[in-house]
Amino acid sequence: MSRTTMRSPLLGLLLLISVQGVAGQTPQAQAPFLQAFLFGDALFMLQDAAGPDGFKLGQMVAHGNASLSERVVFFGEISISARASGYVLAMERAIVRYEFNDRFKLSGGRYHTPISYWNTEYHHGLWLQGSVARPEAIKFGSRYIPVHFVGAMLEGNLQAAPIHYSVGIGNGRTESLAGAGDAGDVNGNRAFVASASVRPRDLFGFRVGGAVYVDRISSGGVEFADEVITSAHVVWDRGRVDASAEFIHVSHEEILSGASGGSPSFYVHVGYRLTGAARYFTPYARYENMDIDEGDAVFATVLSDYEAYVVGLRYDFDSLAALKAEYRNERIASGSRTDAYVVQASFAVPVAGGN
Amino acid sequence: MMRRHLMAAVVAAAALGGVPSPATAQAMAVAIVVHPATDVDDLSFSELKRIFRGERQFWDDGRRVTLLVRAPVAEERQLVLDRIYEMDEDQFREYWIGKMFRAEVAAGPKLVYSADMARDLVTVIPGAITFVPLSEVSADTKIVRIDGLLPTDAGYALR
Repeated sequence: MSRTTMRSPLLGLLLLISVQGVAGQTPQAQAPFLQAFLFGDALFMLQDAAGPDGFKLGQMVAHGNASLSERVVFFGEISISARASGYVLAMERAIVRYEFNDRFKLSGGRYHTPISYWNTEYHHGLWLQGSVARPEAIKFGSRYIPVHFVGAMLEGNLQAAPIHYSVGIGNGRTESLAGAGDAGDVNGNRAFVASASVRPRDLFGFRVGGAVYVDRISSGGVEFADEVITSAHVVWDRGRVDASAEFIHVSHEEILSGASGGSPSFYVHVGYRLTGAARYFTPYARYENMDIDEGDAVFATVLSDYEAYVVGLRYDFDSLAALKAEYRNERIASGSRTDAYVVQASFAVPVAGGN
Repeated sequence: MMRRHLMAAVVAAAALGGVPSPATAQAMAVAIVVHPATDVDDLSFSELKRIFRGERQFWDDGRRVTLLVRAPVAEERQLVLDRIYEMDEDQFREYWIGKMFRAEVAAGPKLVYSADMARDLVTVIPGAITFVPLSEVSADTKIVRIDGLLPTDAGYALR
């Protein structure tokens, strides 16, 4: 990705003019085959809260799927993010997977942790998600849940029932809580994650599921607390309605003292695509709440209570590009409520390629 | 062998416009066609949806499913989007971009630009499945029944 493209979302948008195809490619060869996408976004924001506002470049994301053979596939996702000090390049996901069949797919690499529906549904492609930003509890860089997971995963679809499952073992969080242990586990205790969702075959678009994540947190080089995260979600995403609700609970138990604490969060997001001449418009609303336990020694100094009301309007002005206008009313800890107004342009560029 | 003779008879009759069934008198029927070596003769409509939506990616014999889908505008594509995907073009595009982005599939459907191309490729790509108008089916293609019905049968799902 060139720096020119990074600096100019408009140029990226102009690229869309040349995009003609649907997701697909001409059937020239079976393998190896590479298919790539670019995702990008830029926004303008005004806010009451302290912090920079105005024009901001979001992320430019390159995503590639490669079939190395009939059963071996690779998925990679790299992002370039604008920061005050410059641009930051990050490997977001890198997964090599051997697919035995639909029931068993074994992989290793860096994932978005399947502890949250939103985390594994939208990844870094903001064009795909209905709102400008992720819910606070799931945002990238969050210390609330481990957004990334480095390890190995077994996943698949059961044959007897419409159930998708995944189980994984990995390094778990770094001491900062936001890191994924890319350079190795910070303690000798691996993290485990297991998730499952029911997706009825005769109710396309509906799913309900949950997950559990277990790890041990270290602080100052010492094993400090056991962490258990549980979550549940229910989703309807078909036709004109895009609705999802998710509940997450993070609990910690200090190893030495036995003191424990639990911090729940949830959000409810609903979008409805209008009909007729207004079919390119999707109004949406979201309520989110994160209740941090002040007695939780792991979270007490790094996270605060959070509550937000979000309303917005998505306008799909092109089949691969959208504008979202959003109003947020937020409260952090016991502070006063603040308002923010955001307009975001986001797009996707499928790039078909072959060997 | 008997099944193949049946297919050939159906196809030949359809091509000649002489099938004594509702197929030619009513709206276009779309046949589901697979690679000749694929060990499947009949699929439930529910299973067919799972295959075309990328939810089932392997045949029972372990071979990977390769989806061949007509490019936009074709009438049979519209029918498949309506009945199998239950999506419009924009939703279909977003659906596959999302599936690939979520690493749920290794690749999206492969586009074909004519019924001839679909018919030719499905016979040479192992594990391939596609759809073609019944009038475009040739005698050497392997048609799959849907819920036990051929495209010429009353009550067939893709008409």
